[in-house]
Amino acid sequence: MAPRTIKVDALVVGGGIAGMQSALDLADQGYQVALVEKQPSIGGKMIELSKVFPTLDCCSCITTPKMSAVAHNSNIQLFTYCDIQSVDKQGDGRFVAQVIQKPRYVDIETCTACRQCEYACPIDLPHPFDQNLGVHRAIYVPFSTAVPQKALIDIDNCILCGKCERVCPVGCVDFTQQPEELAIEATAIVLATGFEITPTDAKAEYGGGKLLNVVNALTVERLLAPTGPYGHVLRPSDGKEPDSIAYIQCAGSRDKSLGVEYCSRICCMYAIKQSMLISGALPLADIAIYYMDIRTFGKGYDQFYQTAKAMGVQFIKGKVAKITEDENQNPIVRVELIDEGSQVVERQHDMVVLSVGMVSKYDPRTIYDVNVAGDGFVDTPLTNVSPCVTSRPGVFVSGSAAGPMDIVDSIVMAGAAAAEAAAYIQATGPNGHGGGRSIAAGEEKELAHA
Amino acid sequence: MSNRVDPSLIKELKEYGAVNIEACFNCGNCTAICPLTDSKHSFPRNMIRLVQMGFRKRIMKTPDPWLCYYCGDCSDTCPREAEPAETMMALRRWLTAQYDRSGHGAKLYTSEKAVWKAILQYSMIPVILLLIFHGLKALGVPGLDSFEIVTDRVALNAFAPVFWVWAVVLIDFVLLGSRLVRNIVHMFQLVMGELGRKIPLRIYIQEFKTFLLHTITQRRWLDCGEDRKRWFKHLLLISGYATMLILIVGLLWWFQTDELYPLFHPQRLLGYYATVVLLYATGEALIGRLRKREQIHRFSHPSDWLFPAFIFAGTVTGILVHIFRYAGWPWPTYLMYVLHVMVMISMLDTEVGIGKWTHLFYRPLAMYLERVKERAAEEPAPELAPVGAD
Repeated sequence: MAPRTIKVDALVVGGGIAGMQSALDLADQGYQVALVEKQPSIGGKMIELSKVFPTLDCCSCITTPKMSAVAHNSNIQLFTYCDIQSVDKQGDGRFVAQVIQKPRYVDIETCTACRQCEYACPIDLPHPFDQNLGVHRAIYVPFSTAVPQKALIDIDNCILCGKCERVCPVGCVDFTQQPEELAIEATAIVLATGFEITPTDAKAEYGGGKLLNVVNALTVERLLAPTGPYGHVLRPSDGKEPDSIAYIQCAGSRDKSLGVEYCSRICCMYAIKQSMLISGALPLADIAIYYMDIRTFGKGYDQFYQTAKAMGVQFIKGKVAKITEDENQNPIVRVELIDEGSQVVERQHDMVVLSVGMVSKYDPRTIYDVNVAGDGFVDTPLTNVSPCVTSRPGVFVSGSAAGPMDIVDSIVMAGAAAAEAAAYIQATGPNGHGGGRSIAAGEEKELAHA
Repeated sequence: MSNRVDPSLIKELKEYGAVNIEACFNCGNCTAICPLTDSKHSFPRNMIRLVQMGFRKRIMKTPDPWLCYYCGDCSDTCPREAEPAETMMALRRWLTAQYDRSGHGAKLYTSEKAVWKAILQYSMIPVILLLIFHGLKALGVPGLDSFEIVTDRVALNAFAPVFWVWAVVLIDFVLLGSRLVRNIVHMFQLVMGELGRKIPLRIYIQEFKTFLLHTITQRRWLDCGEDRKRWFKHLLLISGYATMLILIVGLLWWFQTDELYPLFHPQRLLGYYATVVLLYATGEALIGRLRKREQIHRFSHPSDWLFPAFIFAGTVTGILVHIFRYAGWPWPTYLMYVLHVMVMISMLDTEVGIGKWTHLFYRPLAMYLERVKERAAEEPAPELAPVGAD
């Protein structure tokens, strides 16, 4: 049987904030969009965060409506938990992507996310969404605001006891599901494959990921998030409230020895943001940020930095060279106090946060045939002219797939990618030369309110 | 003192083997990772900063480069791969050259041509001296009866009579020694400055044990990371080198004999010990520099090759002299002996006081002088004369 074929104008790869925004910006112009996400829910990294800088808005409150907007936009078809296997160019110049829909073992048409299955499941697994601090069941809804709000089974860890199947009120658990192949035909592709954080164990001098109270900044996002694992800032080793917290800047950036030579651009700001949030959560805690340079370059960013200083966050110039721990697992940082007479000191803190950087997550070369720059991110040969154009006509890039950037910049770039893709679709699409929109005239009405 | 930025120092230091100094953005990682840095001596970042600024005078006055034993941790973890350890190494070479006011040291460090020229010149000394003495004897000049070329057996003490050789060794020793002392005094003046005269002699004498300790044992090296093997190898090298030095400078009349002693005679045992140790330690250093695996061996300045190569060549030629002598081959023995002396004289004349060799004084001296300063600071301040007393 030939795989089901979906015909759209644009294929957006990745359902993080950049992908969602590009999809929405295309859909709102009337283009048909397919959004393919590898994970069982869209939302990307942003939905994991607590608050955004420099406004300190609640992250869920911004991201969740976007996720819903994507799910409910009639011009967007959402494909979650899917892998793109290959992308080929047809005779008419359109792309065809071969996609595998991975089995959730839950029928998403009937699942209501009532969570009866979760309550029945006997298996607890570390939850990557909570940076493994919390747990999820072997059958689970990815997280509380997941879109689609549907359960899935981690089949590798499932013991097939059948309890979920028995308690499900709608009978949507289906252990016989098979991977499904589908083909997506599109005129343009927008790559929004995002980034990964520098591995916490990348630097051996920082404990190599072995020191329990040395955590990465994403973990602190979860500790600070209202949906987080503890609902409070507690340190991992013993659940104690940390009284003294240190941030180590450039813990995964601007470091040739890690192969990450560039500045990740977000770490100064998120460290400052987190230090403010911790000041709220733990008003008595001392917070020190060890830095090489503070780079608060965006609109309103430097004021944000000054505010943190005024709030009593300590900024200490010097790159931490080594972290060890004492018998109570309190991390000890060794640093040269450059502005204080070049003294080398060893300071004990209750918890140390590594301000890890951004590295490229996904190599698109084999499937999308686009060039990758030396830093591993998608190459944008016309950065100053057409910032979202890649080396391959018809393939555009959006957000941190193109390089380290924060949410503000990702959203700006997502809009730019949508505009550049739209222009391309207009010029080359099947109904090209001015009438590019492949929607029927009758659907124009629906657009009006979008 | 004016602090004018002088960008030429970076270029100059590169001739002394520094690499990538400009890459440093002064994050302080190197200083914080360094196991030897302390409250009074914060390095390498401060040194790199001074180099970037080109503050020559301040660098000349600091003993800090001598306090580093090059474990390489700073270079391993440098986020900019600015190779701070190599900058410290280059600074030691540069300081060695600065202490030598004649400029000869600087020339040898920065020009390979000058090195070859010096080697060629110095190695001619034994050849010329032998030609002169044997020539004068042939001309019938009295007092040179002991010079004779015996070809039916090995008679080294007739080819090069030991007391004449010893005399030449001692003269060279005095000449090189005075150059060494001059440079050491210069270093002392630079490092101690005004303080040098103010500190009572008593403290210098009492603390002299620090100098001896660091000269003989390199105690400080043990605080430098985990690698004790390297320290031990160096200690072996020193024991071999010191043995040879004593045998040649102090006991040549006992060491260079034509009489063949039994295997367990102390003359042979001491000689063998020194030979084996020198061969092993320098051979290992040279192989390490060829392989470039460890941080300390990744970069090699010509001076880093020259010093162990000299010792290695001197040892190998020494062994051959010994073998030929015991084999009873007169001509090979004499020629190899000449070659051996050529190597040794070239080494001493290009190294002592002006080359890498001199670190064996500058290092412990730096630690000694720092200890003296510390002691002087611990002493109660001398009572001030009441105002208006004079």
